[in-house]
Amino acid sequence: MKKLSTILAAGALAAPVAAHAQSDECGNVSITEMNWASAQVVTSVASFLMEQGYGCDVSVVSSDTIPAVTSVAENGEPDIVTELWLNSTGDTYDELRDAGKVVEAGDVLDPGGVEGWWIPTYLAEEHPELKTIEGILENPELVDARFHNCPEGWGCRVVSDNLAAALDLEGNGIEVFNSGSGQVLATSMADAVLEEEPWFGYYWGPTVPLGKYDMTKVDLGAVKDDVHARNQNADTDNPGVSDFPAAPIVTATTSAFQGDHPELFELMSNMTFKTSNMSKVLAWKDDNNASADEAAVYYLTNFQDQWSNWLSESARENLEKVLDQG
Amino acid sequence: MATYDFVFSALGLEEWCDANGGDAAPMSMDALVAQSSGEEQTTSIWELPFPSMDALNEACPAFPQSRALTLGLENGFLNVKDSISVVLDPITQPLSWMLDGALYGVLNTPWWIVIPLILLIVWLVSRSWQLLTFVALSVGGLAFIDYYDYAMQTLAIIMVCAFLCVLLGVPIGIAMSRSDKMRAGTIPILDMLQTLPPFVYLIPLIFLFSVTEPKLYGIAIILYAIVPVIRLTDLGIRMVDETVIEAADAFGMTDRQKLFGVQVPLALPNIMAGVNQTIMMSLAMVVIASLVSAPGLGVLVLRGINNLELGVGLVSGLGIVILAVILDRVTKAALNRINAAQKG
Repeated sequence: MKKLSTILAAGALAAPVAAHAQSDECGNVSITEMNWASAQVVTSVASFLMEQGYGCDVSVVSSDTIPAVTSVAENGEPDIVTELWLNSTGDTYDELRDAGKVVEAGDVLDPGGVEGWWIPTYLAEEHPELKTIEGILENPELVDARFHNCPEGWGCRVVSDNLAAALDLEGNGIEVFNSGSGQVLATSMADAVLEEEPWFGYYWGPTVPLGKYDMTKVDLGAVKDDVHARNQNADTDNPGVSDFPAAPIVTATTSAFQGDHPELFELMSNMTFKTSNMSKVLAWKDDNNASADEAAVYYLTNFQDQWSNWLSESARENLEKVLDQG
Repeated sequence: MATYDFVFSALGLEEWCDANGGDAAPMSMDALVAQSSGEEQTTSIWELPFPSMDALNEACPAFPQSRALTLGLENGFLNVKDSISVVLDPITQPLSWMLDGALYGVLNTPWWIVIPLILLIVWLVSRSWQLLTFVALSVGGLAFIDYYDYAMQTLAIIMVCAFLCVLLGVPIGIAMSRSDKMRAGTIPILDMLQTLPPFVYLIPLIFLFSVTEPKLYGIAIILYAIVPVIRLTDLGIRMVDETVIEAADAFGMTDRQKLFGVQVPLALPNIMAGVNQTIMMSLAMVVIASLVSAPGLGVLVLRGINNLELGVGLVSGLGIVILAVILDRVTKAALNRINAAQKG
């Protein structure tokens, strides 16, 4: 009898899943997962909505910005690339968009990412003059006479290199230290903040470190779009000084995907996280030592008012039980 | 209802569980999926979860989750790191000076001194015209495509690290060969150093030392590359023929005389093979060392990977291969001369 009940139980579990898959003909969808925390939350939320709301089979592809864009260019896969920081995609992406291979669905973070040069807030409180770049240039010893630069190959590296040249950091006695990898950059910041030591360097948000540590953005002056555009070119001959503008972060899909799955494309265009909410989710994730999946669940169970508007009628019905919880 | 409720009710610990129940665990994706599809999570015998910390936590909130273990390790490390770095920082400081000095030296000496110097060393070690020509062509080629600075930085780092590996590794190997207890204690550590993924100890090292210190990558390279020279020194000395040792005893040699007059010279081919392997393994670490800001060809490989600049990646990767071939052939030539000298 026991055996029979086991089989029945297994059947009962399998049946609704099969029924689910039959009701919507969605098929297979692939979506990228970038290797930083906010992108993992976005991907996890998107996969949940597509699987449970639209009945798709979602395969998640671990990737990084440039490999993902190149893969779309060469193979037309994966279908959805999300948390794409347009300032670090390079020319390849523009070419793809102009050629019509890739369609920009919409902003995934509103109002976009924050980039900049930061100092810890305790340092800014102790020495308020360090809040502007002029103050730092005058008192290099207060920031340990060191600027923690981006690793080689990041979009911000080119901009920061040009800014460092335009501001003449080295000439003002600030050594530019090129981090070997993102881990080194993050660890050096974490180490300095834990010890309450001076630190001065590039970082970006929304990320776990910026959610976790209290940092103050150094004022580099006004945002000048033409100067910033010039600074993004590694071979520019006259780098200028301009603060980082808010970075556009988008979801892009292949144009084939837009044609095959208009409903999902609609979802992707609506899927916009408020940057402040994302920061909250990341701070929660760190406080609870949670995984990206658990952080996605936290978002799904606490911000229903946000994501319910992204869905189509039928998907909203499918997800009723999660929606009602809020 | 969690699967292992019965364990705690049988032990009469329910009150303890309820009283000490900390924050509930964050909801997992599976639980949310189950909730959205509206099914009660029934577990058949096929899906019985292993009584792990997380499964027990579900039944009893006071039982710690497995993430408490990793968090505890992290906090424990952060608490002791200050005292560790007070001890380790001064001991390892000479490594930073040596690396800084070597990097400064190769970059600020003109190429028309450095390249002939390299060729002179190659000639003294190998006495082979073929090898000398090969090295001259390779180094000249790297310089011709403007990779000279990067290649020399890599070479300087490798030389400092390999030198320190030999300096530390040979005595450790000798000690191992003389004491079986020491050997039994060292071998598991050597196994661990060879297999532990470097990033596992690199990140704690960043917390111990400043990221701007060159010793960070120096230590990473040395920990990985020191293993073969230790192993082969130990092996070489242990393989010295018993009869030779007996003869040495018959001559009334002291232990010290036996070691330096008989055992080490006879083990030299093995020790040199260890040195050769140590140099090769330091080169293998060049790219990983660049992740913690080591200059040289590794940076270019990383740039190639990050930007998908295939050409840069390939050329710098080949540059590392060329350096490896040069160092390998030169040390092997030295080894052959030692072998020939011993036979003659």
